[in-house]
Amino acid sequence: MLSIFRSHSLISYLSIAATAVGLSSCEMIEFSPNDHRSPDDKQALTDKHLTTLLANPLPAGDTLRFVYTGDSQRFYDDAEDLVKSVNQQKGVQFMLVAGDISDFGLAREMWWVDDQLRKLTISYLTVIGNHDQVGNGRKAYGEVFGALNYSFVYGDTKFIMTDTNGREYNFNGRIPDMPWVRQQLQDNTVRRHVIISHVPPQDEDFDPAVREAYVTALREDPRLVFEMNGHRHDFSIGQPFNDGVTYVNSYAFEKRQYLIVTMWGDKEFRLKKVPF
Amino acid sequence: MGQMRRVLLGLLAYGSVILPMQAQTDAPPQAGPFFLTLHFAGGTGLVALGGGYRVAHQRLEPEVLVGYLPRRLAGHRAAIITLKTSYIPFSPRLGHSRWEVSPVAVGGFINYTTGSQYFLTNNSAGRYRPGYYWWSAAVRMGAFAGPRLTHLGHLSGRYVPKQTLYAELGTNELYLVSALTNRSLKLKEILTLGGGVKGSW
Repeated sequence: MLSIFRSHSLISYLSIAATAVGLSSCEMIEFSPNDHRSPDDKQALTDKHLTTLLANPLPAGDTLRFVYTGDSQRFYDDAEDLVKSVNQQKGVQFMLVAGDISDFGLAREMWWVDDQLRKLTISYLTVIGNHDQVGNGRKAYGEVFGALNYSFVYGDTKFIMTDTNGREYNFNGRIPDMPWVRQQLQDNTVRRHVIISHVPPQDEDFDPAVREAYVTALREDPRLVFEMNGHRHDFSIGQPFNDGVTYVNSYAFEKRQYLIVTMWGDKEFRLKKVPF
Repeated sequence: MGQMRRVLLGLLAYGSVILPMQAQTDAPPQAGPFFLTLHFAGGTGLVALGGGYRVAHQRLEPEVLVGYLPRRLAGHRAAIITLKTSYIPFSPRLGHSRWEVSPVAVGGFINYTTGSQYFLTNNSAGRYRPGYYWWSAAVRMGAFAGPRLTHLGHLSGRYVPKQTLYAELGTNELYLVSALTNRSLKLKEILTLGGGVKGSW
């Protein structure tokens, strides 16, 4: 029997069999659902979107405006409709997704979300959520999207994206990474700061040992416009620590609403709710 | 998901039509009940080794596989231990040759991935309140279907040597839940491909 297949490896035989039934075999050959490797077009999406976004800087006099949403986890149909709606918006420069891209922390789920979001006419950027860290999810997120802590400057505003999913690290006292967060907040070369993470600091999934340090660092930052989160699946805006710092929570995709955030001046902003 | 429904219904109909033919099949020289398996992909590791015991007139092949998941694929080196059963409803011989072709065998599996990052249950992880995550990161369940090609050797001793080459298209319960709750997710997006060889002597 082996002589028949001597000229082909088993994998190539399987690939041929799959191709014969019209399926792309490369992505189907799965060694484990926890395999974090990703095809070329679904790798380093954060860097790719940043390159596109930063190649078109905000013209002087234009208003900084972005779409804010979160928790796309297993809401692929909603993602499809969200994209159609966002593509109708004029004068919006990019979209932010506040974590929980996936439901089970599997790379394929992140591909499925990207299959929808790559139809956006604007760039989208993400921050890691707790669901994106289940199993080998942290590595999958790193492969598909990129760094767990990163920042970028657009429209004279520094967007600081940080991992606040402390429970996924057994509350090890190092999440969020406060030395990194403080270093980012110390950047005084830009007019405004916005910090975005998945788990809000008033949530039980935020490491209680780091809460005070985080909240204090934000309170002491004169450039901070507001702090933004996801995780709770519904919109809210308030000052939970009564310290003058505003916290905004995103709708989840399933809520079929998103926010358009407009910023101007030093700390002026407007939020518009858009149902879809 | 109409496509998936059609495939599943087709498989069921196929099984119910051919089952009654079982009694009419001439008993060919029998292969032994024990077999060894070398399996690739299909969510059971880069490569998995195992074996099983044929039952139900050699139509059911329950087996145990131990798969290897290298570090470069999933961050940590892991073993994937799989319990699996294949059902071969029909495996006609090609004329008077020693080859058999089974257009479709179907089956199910459950497996466990080792490693502390894969919690067995939400509660066993020790960091979540009850109900925080409803699934197990370590245990996957799934189903598959695929063709088989079998060669029967010459009787040498008690049993006829038998080698089978097979391919399997399958999915797991998390992918299935994703597809069943989203019409935009297509069948082919949740399919996984695996295959291997089984042999007994």
